[in-house]
Amino acid sequence: MFRASWATVAAFLSLALTCLFVFRVVPVAIAVVGSFYGESLTGEPVFKGLGNFLDLFADQEFRDGVVRTLVFNILVNPIQIGIAFFLAILVLNPTKAAKFFRVALFLPMCISLALASVLWSILLDPSLGLVNGLLSALGADRQLFFRSEGQALWSLILLATWKSVGYWMIFLLAGLVAIPSDIYEAASLDGATGWRAFTKITLPLMKRPLLFVLVADTTANFLFFAPVYLITGGGPNNSTNFLMFQAYRSSFVLVDHGRSLAISTIILLMIGAVAALEFRLFRADPKQG
Amino acid sequence: MHSTRRTFLKTGLAMAAAPLAFRQPAMASSPLQAAWVGWGDAQVLPVVDTAKAMAAGVDVALETIPVSQYFQSLEVRLAPRSGTPDFFLVDGPLTASYAARGHLLDLTSVIDQSRFAKPAVDQATYHGKLYTAPFGTSSQLLYYNRDLLERSGIEVPSADVEKRWTWEALVEAARKVNDPSKGVWGFSFEQADRPYQLFPLMQSLGAKTVSTDGLQVSGYIDCPESIEAYTFYQRLFQDWKISPAGLYDGPLVQELFGSGNLGFMVGGTYIMDSLTKRYPGVTWGVAPHPYFAGGNPVTPTGSWHIGLNARSNNIDAAQTLLAAVLSEKVMDVWFRVRPNPPVLNRLWDTTKAPFTSEGWKIIRYELDHTAMVRPATPGYAEYEDIFKLALRDIQGGSPVPDVLASAAKKIDAAIAKYRI
Amino acid sequence: MHHKAVEKGREALRYLLLTVIALALLAPLLWMAMTSLRPQEEIFRFATTLSVQSFIPTRLTFSNYAKLLSGDFPRAIANSIFVTASTVTLGVIINALAGFAFAVFRFRGSNLLFGAVVASFMMPFEAIILPLYILARWLNWTNTYQALILPDVANGFVIFLFRQCFLGMPRELFEAARVDGAGWLCIFFRIAMPLSGPTIAAASLLIFVHQWDSFFWPLVVAGTSEYMVIPVAIGRFFSMEGNDWGAIFSAGTVATLIAAVPFLYLQKFYVQTMMSSAIK
Repeated sequence: MFRASWATVAAFLSLALTCLFVFRVVPVAIAVVGSFYGESLTGEPVFKGLGNFLDLFADQEFRDGVVRTLVFNILVNPIQIGIAFFLAILVLNPTKAAKFFRVALFLPMCISLALASVLWSILLDPSLGLVNGLLSALGADRQLFFRSEGQALWSLILLATWKSVGYWMIFLLAGLVAIPSDIYEAASLDGATGWRAFTKITLPLMKRPLLFVLVADTTANFLFFAPVYLITGGGPNNSTNFLMFQAYRSSFVLVDHGRSLAISTIILLMIGAVAALEFRLFRADPKQG
Repeated sequence: MHSTRRTFLKTGLAMAAAPLAFRQPAMASSPLQAAWVGWGDAQVLPVVDTAKAMAAGVDVALETIPVSQYFQSLEVRLAPRSGTPDFFLVDGPLTASYAARGHLLDLTSVIDQSRFAKPAVDQATYHGKLYTAPFGTSSQLLYYNRDLLERSGIEVPSADVEKRWTWEALVEAARKVNDPSKGVWGFSFEQADRPYQLFPLMQSLGAKTVSTDGLQVSGYIDCPESIEAYTFYQRLFQDWKISPAGLYDGPLVQELFGSGNLGFMVGGTYIMDSLTKRYPGVTWGVAPHPYFAGGNPVTPTGSWHIGLNARSNNIDAAQTLLAAVLSEKVMDVWFRVRPNPPVLNRLWDTTKAPFTSEGWKIIRYELDHTAMVRPATPGYAEYEDIFKLALRDIQGGSPVPDVLASAAKKIDAAIAKYRI
Repeated sequence: MHHKAVEKGREALRYLLLTVIALALLAPLLWMAMTSLRPQEEIFRFATTLSVQSFIPTRLTFSNYAKLLSGDFPRAIANSIFVTASTVTLGVIINALAGFAFAVFRFRGSNLLFGAVVASFMMPFEAIILPLYILARWLNWTNTYQALILPDVANGFVIFLFRQCFLGMPRELFEAARVDGAGWLCIFFRIAMPLSGPTIAAASLLIFVHQWDSFFWPLVVAGTSEYMVIPVAIGRFFSMEGNDWGAIFSAGTVATLIAAVPFLYLQKFYVQTMMSSAIK
């Protein structure tokens, strides 16, 4: 770390910080403050202190939502990142074929999540869907997917994973590419190859990109919204009623802005807590500078 | 250290003040902000342009918002309570909700109520005052696939309202057509999870959808008649299996019918148009909406209204535009581009075809005799959303009395805030 | 010899796996593209029961595309490209500068500030859309390009990404330059950035994807035909009475293909670094 004059630090930070301050930090602060208020019918703010939060914790739907959101995240993050890492290793080649695959794997990211949701809701439709057509052609039973209480969550995980493994693969690829190959050569001379090389060399050197991917993916998955809104509506039977969707419903359907902001604040705190944990776990070795 | 704190403070203030430097000058005279539903230019521009021509002198800035995002966008625009949009479309049953929150201008003395269909005027009224102007209405028909019925040896339902089929008769016929192994279904509602479509089931058995003051649902939505009605609904999917479970997308149900894979469908009047234009391969017919034997025929109704912003700075201009839009000429153009039943009474008499067709005769009858508006409550948005999720659960097989009781509790909790 | 055979075997396995996975990932997109070439009436006809026709249209038609391109959609494409390209260009520079500062300089409050920067992006967007909208109206920025671009230029996660990248650079490089009397901005542009190829590519992608898919904010702040972006335009094809599937799928195919182009271009950052690392 270097010391630099205030002028220098300001020169580097000011543009980004001004934009962030005006368009993000201040609105987020307003939202958090707003979570301590309610609104009268005619729009006047009514101070409620911790009222919104206490109401939430007393609400079964909210408590179930917390559990379901956590379950979704505990499942989807390792799956996505694990597959993305695996894919990054597979395409780590300067060959033309690898380039083709990099593009092919990334393509699902080029379609918007909303459109992907519409597409998958059709493909997995119990009656009109192609996947069920395939299943019945193979002699298997037609499945309900998004319309089944037991399968809806997994269908969402499928959709989320399909969409973004190519995306996270790119970030991990950037990290893998930065590892000089002579490290591996030196290690193989010492007899460390294959799995040992992976755990002793690759993983430690990938700590920084992995931390980024982990925090970014965690955030994205806690804020996972479009497919729930467009396909499942929180169901069937609340099986996909994540907190993000509840925040949206509270604001735009139940017209309870205070409650919505309270849920959003809780989401923010949850992501922050998980991210802080992830930062701890992946603290890079100071010796590596 | 002292100087760094000062620099920090100075930088902070500079950042906070930065937006001032980028503020654009406001326009000198502001045009009327009108928010419209984005049905596609062909269905919006002719209406708006004709109205603008009639309301000469009114400068209109039109914004069209896709229907799937209309409500959310409108909420964001109205929340700052700044008076814009000045002129906007309102989903009929949400009149009470916007009025209760002070967004709508009282139109009682501005509009001649007798020009419009009574159910629509009722829907536009809150606490005795008219808050929106009826702009459209709707009705529903029973569509059937002639070929499928003939092949199954079923007599087609009559288009005569005196010979209306019961739900029981419909189920019997649909079961004969039903053949899921070939991808053919017996029956489906067009909007299989929407309260708009499904209130008539309970209403047909005599249940009311909400208390008279519009603030209580317990005891109404979970009454025995309602339980009976929605148990029938559940059996369509779970017992008889004549309806495809989980198909909540109206357009997809139309596809199912249009591709010849659905025997019967209860759906909107616009489907007559869709079928003619997009699915020429299907031979179809129409009949009146079914009812429960021992009950009364009830059909869904209601559509878009127009509201003026109570805090608008352009009230005169808005009222001029409103008068133009509600004129017979513009309402006729509106009907031509989007053939939903006219809500303006005179239009039924002046516009000749297609009101002579079987379908339209049924529609006229339903609007005059069997149409029941959606529950009049300021908490309609909450009611509709919670009930929709309950209907989905019922469709999926959850026990009907429990689901309805639980929904009633949730709805009551959500609409309690409108109790003044 | 054995070594070579194992190598070849490994390569074959690698490409086999990749092919299977790539097919699984591409199949839905291929279906969408094929379906967009069907006439409107046939779009769902072959969906229920699987057959060759489910994938390959019996009648190929470009009518959906013709209709799409004759309407407002080309305008939306132009808007999306302009807005996204601007956001990416501005965003990469601004966020890289900030990421550099957090990674390289030691100053008071640096960790707290960084935490706030990243945390501000952990808030659901619906919670802040109202304050943002009120701000945009106060600035008279509704229906302008700046409203679409500026709020998305600074991105806490992109700053995070660049910080990680610059943390990984050997300090000796900077020390040597400082000893030579170079200013920090010079070091940033001449030394740090050129070494960050893959990260710049990844950051561009992050900003690109975030802006290209952005729907709710553009809808609320710049939803008119003149300023609408692609997701807003596609939203117009949905209606309760009948979606324009032909338009939806063809627009989706077009949008996906356009989005793939920058990525194709950014590939070379990876290849260059990979080649140079291999040569070493």
